Amino acid sequence: MTERDAVLQVKGLSAGYGPLRVIHDLDLIVHAGERVGLVGLNGHGKSTLFYAIAGLTGWQRGSIRLNGVEVGRTRSQGPGRYTHLVVRQGLALIPQGDEIFHGLTVEEHLDSGAFTPLAWKERASRKERVLDIFAPLRKLMRIPVGRLSGGERRMVSIGRGLMADAALFLVDEPSLGLAPKIGKGVMDALIAVDLGQSAMVIAEQNVALLEGRVDRVIGMHAGKLKGEASAAMPFQTARHA
Amino acid sequence: MDILFILSNAVVLTCIYGMLAIGISITWSSVGLINLSYGFIFAFAGYGAWYAAQALSENGAVVLAAGVLCGALGGVVVCALAFIPIHDKPNFTLRGLIATLAISLIGTQSLMWWFGPRSKNLPEIFGSWSVMVGDTALTADKIGNVLTSIAFVAAVVLWMRSSRRGLEIRAMMMNPHAASIVGIDVRSTGFYVMAITGGMAGLAAVLLSQTYYISPFGGLTPMIKGVSIALCGGLGSVQGAVIAAAILGLNEAVTSELLGGQYVLITQFILIIAILLVRPRGIAGILDRAREA
Repeated sequence: MTERDAVLQVKGLSAGYGPLRVIHDLDLIVHAGERVGLVGLNGHGKSTLFYAIAGLTGWQRGSIRLNGVEVGRTRSQGPGRYTHLVVRQGLALIPQGDEIFHGLTVEEHLDSGAFTPLAWKERASRKERVLDIFAPLRKLMRIPVGRLSGGERRMVSIGRGLMADAALFLVDEPSLGLAPKIGKGVMDALIAVDLGQSAMVIAEQNVALLEGRVDRVIGMHAGKLKGEASAAMPFQTARHA
Repeated sequence: MDILFILSNAVVLTCIYGMLAIGISITWSSVGLINLSYGFIFAFAGYGAWYAAQALSENGAVVLAAGVLCGALGGVVVCALAFIPIHDKPNFTLRGLIATLAISLIGTQSLMWWFGPRSKNLPEIFGSWSVMVGDTALTADKIGNVLTSIAFVAAVVLWMRSSRRGLEIRAMMMNPHAASIVGIDVRSTGFYVMAITGGMAGLAAVLLSQTYYISPFGGLTPMIKGVSIALCGGLGSVQGAVIAAAILGLNEAVTSELLGGQYVLITQFILIIAILLVRPRGIAGILDRAREA
């Protein structure tokens, strides 16, 4: 694969909050149609990496290209100030811990994910597509999200991400805080999403949920990427290789 | 004691203060600004309406429209000065508080300098007819005030519920961080919010001018009442603000009838403190059935 079909190309990215540096000179390429697993322990920078790509960290520097367009910038402050521009370039971030709008109904919530003009026009058909993946939401469309259970909220949060016209989906710990069975169901749904020319990166602590189901698995440790394993190769072997 | 008279006063006050409280509440929860220049916007819009009445026409619709437009303009100016430059800097809440306070001080002094300390009065917007209900006269300005403010707030709420821009504002009110994640531009949405809430202040200024005069510092008391009602209703909740406005409007009407107008702020703050002691999140804490995220 060449750099031409790279959906995401990160070079020399450092990012953090205040005096704290979480990401250290990180390089990463994700290609079109690829599903990548990002594994690592708590506090080793998985979420910060996603936030840096979205421009939500306290500060950052380094190059981030989304479909060839530079969206990274050197910032010392202003988290979130340029995030909407990155989203318009095709980023769908599905954050950890359900960043939801508790008073909006499920339907409004899904609409709020269809941000680009094209997605907004097609939002009815896109909602159908999301509901095909997360069938339990169909009955809940008029209920405020704040009254849903944890698993349902996670579905709404992921569904909102899938509504977008995204080239790159960043999914942060989709199984976190859910009962194992429900967490597995959510992961199954993510694996079932037809990516087409887009790409997906799933951060996860539970390696067993990803094993053999993604195109490759990357480890993350202390703000750097460590080792890489293809789907065919069990992750354990790769880590010790 | 005329119960109908007290009630009609209470309803009028509820509508006007409710509108101010909703404006303050929406501003706080969506752009995170405690807008201390709301009183200035109020006075600015009042003078704008007065100027329109002098220069254009004394027609009620023209005066109302001029008030709303000047209020919206005031809101946009405050947004450009006190929100855009500092909203993503550290300690924005405190800086915003100081910035809006500064705008308020400079603004009201400028109004004083420009228009002079003598207060102005606006023409009667709704005419001078009245309807007799039993022994009580419901005057045109009471009926007009109630209908106009309800229509305006209803239009805003409907727009917020049905349009895309409204969805963005509501999303921002509930979770500003998640709003930027889904691609909402906080800065342009901020201009919309401030224009709408400014328009509310402008309308309230024109409506209240049917009872009081317009003066450079005339916005201060309405703002204090608006802020306290918004706090009592639970900042960020439109329903809470409406209910709190009804309770405090009734309190104001009853107090001024039974004790006298000078005791209004005393009973009002006793009531607010009592409500906040029982319900620290205000009335919205009772209404909100969502689980905390």
